Amino acid sequence: MTAPGRPERAQLDREKLFAARMQAVRARPYLATALFALHLVESRQVPTMAVDRYWRCYASSAFVDRTPVEELAGVWVHEVSHLLRDHHGRGDRYAREHGLTGRAERLRMNIAADCEINDDAFGDGLARPEGAVDPVRLGLPSGKLMEEYLRWFRLGPRTEEYAWLDCGSGADGLERGWELGPEGAHGLSAQERDAVRFRVAQGINGRPGEAPKGWERWAEEAFHPPQPWRELLGGAIRSAVCGGGAGDDYSYGRPARRSASLPGVVLPALRRRPPRVFVVVDTSGSVSDTELGSALLEVAAITRAVGGRKDLVTVVSCDAAAQSVQPLCRAEGIALLGGGGTDLRTGFDAALRARPGPDVIVVLTDGQTPWPKARPSCRTVVGLFPRSRKANENDPDYRPDAPPSWARVVEIGAPS
Amino acid sequence: MTEKSLTAPAPTAQLDVADRLLTLLRETGTEPRPDSQLEALTLAVAADLPVLLWGEPGIGKTAALTQLADALDLPLTTVIASVHEPSDFSGLPVVGDDPARQGVPMAPPDWAVRLVRAGRGLLFLDELSTAPPAVQAALLRLVLERRIGALRLPPGVRIVAAANPRSSAADGWELSPPLANRFVHLQWVHDHEVVVRGLGGTWPRATLPRLDPEQLGEAVAFARRAVCGLLTARPALVHRLPSSEARRGGPWPSPRSWEMTLQLIAFATAAGASRDVLSLLVRGTVGDGPGLELLASLDRMDLPDPEDLLADPAGAALPERGDLRQSVLDAVVAAVRSRPERERWDAAWTLLVRAVETGAPDLVVVPAMTLASLRREDWEVPAAVERLTGVVTISGRADRAAARLAAAGSGAGR
Repeated sequence: MTAPGRPERAQLDREKLFAARMQAVRARPYLATALFALHLVESRQVPTMAVDRYWRCYASSAFVDRTPVEELAGVWVHEVSHLLRDHHGRGDRYAREHGLTGRAERLRMNIAADCEINDDAFGDGLARPEGAVDPVRLGLPSGKLMEEYLRWFRLGPRTEEYAWLDCGSGADGLERGWELGPEGAHGLSAQERDAVRFRVAQGINGRPGEAPKGWERWAEEAFHPPQPWRELLGGAIRSAVCGGGAGDDYSYGRPARRSASLPGVVLPALRRRPPRVFVVVDTSGSVSDTELGSALLEVAAITRAVGGRKDLVTVVSCDAAAQSVQPLCRAEGIALLGGGGTDLRTGFDAALRARPGPDVIVVLTDGQTPWPKARPSCRTVVGLFPRSRKANENDPDYRPDAPPSWARVVEIGAPS
Repeated sequence: MTEKSLTAPAPTAQLDVADRLLTLLRETGTEPRPDSQLEALTLAVAADLPVLLWGEPGIGKTAALTQLADALDLPLTTVIASVHEPSDFSGLPVVGDDPARQGVPMAPPDWAVRLVRAGRGLLFLDELSTAPPAVQAALLRLVLERRIGALRLPPGVRIVAAANPRSSAADGWELSPPLANRFVHLQWVHDHEVVVRGLGGTWPRATLPRLDPEQLGEAVAFARRAVCGLLTARPALVHRLPSSEARRGGPWPSPRSWEMTLQLIAFATAAGASRDVLSLLVRGTVGDGPGLELLASLDRMDLPDPEDLLADPAGAALPERGDLRQSVLDAVVAAVRSRPERERWDAAWTLLVRAVETGAPDLVVVPAMTLASLRREDWEVPAAVERLTGVVTISGRADRAAARLAAAGSGAGR
């Protein structure tokens, strides 16, 4: 893949390209369906090879002539990866969210998408095409997503050698003049595209361990992108706080104003009882302050958003024993005490003993703790910091209990 | 300013000018444009299944409902759930002379009475998720049981509900899994291009699907075959509760939602709807994973039967798309393997030759090698196989490239 020369007047060597696809299928059997679904189109305008979002693959005859079969195999896998990873859809979304326009931004997206693909696409039976973009050469870490790379680099001297790069609208979402477009022949419809991606994902999920980690992660998330934990935690807390017995709802405690028109009938009226939220924070050594800080601020913000006043949010820090119970008056000013082993049951007890009692208990923990045997009298939301389940050296039989089924569990990931 | 305003006409005339400006603003045209989400909504409503539209406020759900009501020729009644009280849906108690003897009847609201009297109509329950929980409970009963107080909505009334997505709902509304399982969930998104063109004066006009009376029997047979075929092969898909927090409140597979899917496939087939529309409906009823599996098995149902191909290899039509063609060829070779006979083996070679002559040759490499390995000692290689030389060349080139790579150290570039 060197810069484009003058197009030669040769016919496209389809046989060479198909031999390369054959080799790509042998090296990456789990991508076979996707590779075979591509429709090959000869094009004189494309510098090397490119794809559009309808799964057509454009190839320049000059490029195919000067590139060895083993490198062409790498290019096939590279181009089909753009489509499988939905770089056009993600590129469009990113452009819309960040107000990006213009050809230069799309080139940046193409480079970022290439970084996402190339860090684990080659090797192991596939040759790296000459001049392929590499995050390390741009001074970036590998193993990240297109969106992350986009935040980290600008077009400049480092990217100059890629200025000719063009993987087509399949890589960045911008339609090119030489593409056949939605009306052209042999395009795949949205449903067909999803079906191909789904079959590939299923193939990878069905035989774990055969594909590289990057592909396994893709297959897991292809149709269920992970939702940001803030949204999930917010949803869980909101629904717990708004459930029966708390928040805005109808109650027979006082008659409605409409009762005047219906003498003798008691109608319920809308009453507001702000929810009391107790946050039990696991302050044992295994949870870091940064993790706790961001999660705690989140809980406080959500509770305020649903109408709880600050003084109705109470924080119980807890390791082996409940250490302190204090109202959350300043979000940043909570002294979190503790640091030893964990027994959250004492935290639950402290929260439930309080008068007036809590409507919701939110537990922030890494889950390395015993849980109460019985369901507490109020709703429970668990924000779980992910930990790899490690066996205890001193007690090989020790397994921390999983959060109980009566709690709503949200896995809290990296700060997003 | 002073002189002019003194001689200016009376203020009512100012309103006339405003009216003229408003008339000008309202002059918009329409253009035909395919709209998959509106088609999906039409089919689900025609099938009389409870539909839940998920969409941010202000993206044209009401406009879509107006178009739908036109297409189905039903009068539209919109009820904004968040401004009502629970008793508006469960009925207002009206006390008579002797409540102990006659009981207290629950009087329905006027729009419900009008709907029942008309016998038909489209009821749109908007803003379901911003209503207080007690109102939501009353509304769900209305959607699922079609009851308002003492009234029962007649079968000619169709109901559509709309809710904001969980992340933007103000007070954490969500459906429990059993309730979510009763709805067809449709994600309502706006198309940037449509909005811009519409504000420029041209709104889209979708041609909505019409059921073809000739197709009904066939549609039911097709739908039954599709769902039963999949569930026979994949019993684990029959019932699967949503496990993760992220999928709560969304569609999931159960015998009930599979039955709804069956209904929707029949309606989509009878209307000749595209697979894209069917995809929205099926994934909105049983969820993405099972829905995509169903669609994949529909794609396989469309493929030619290997036995038919073997019976008439000369007249065989192979699919154009490479991946589909490859699964057909694999199926043909598998059929020969399961019942190896001389004629079938020869017929399979003829098919492979046809495949090479009409499409990409690399698809044929694996089927050809497998087929060759099925040869019995007394079977002679058919003459047609000579026309597969292209396949051998390609396979050889791929082999040599792999060998070069291995010689250079397989980690080339790493």
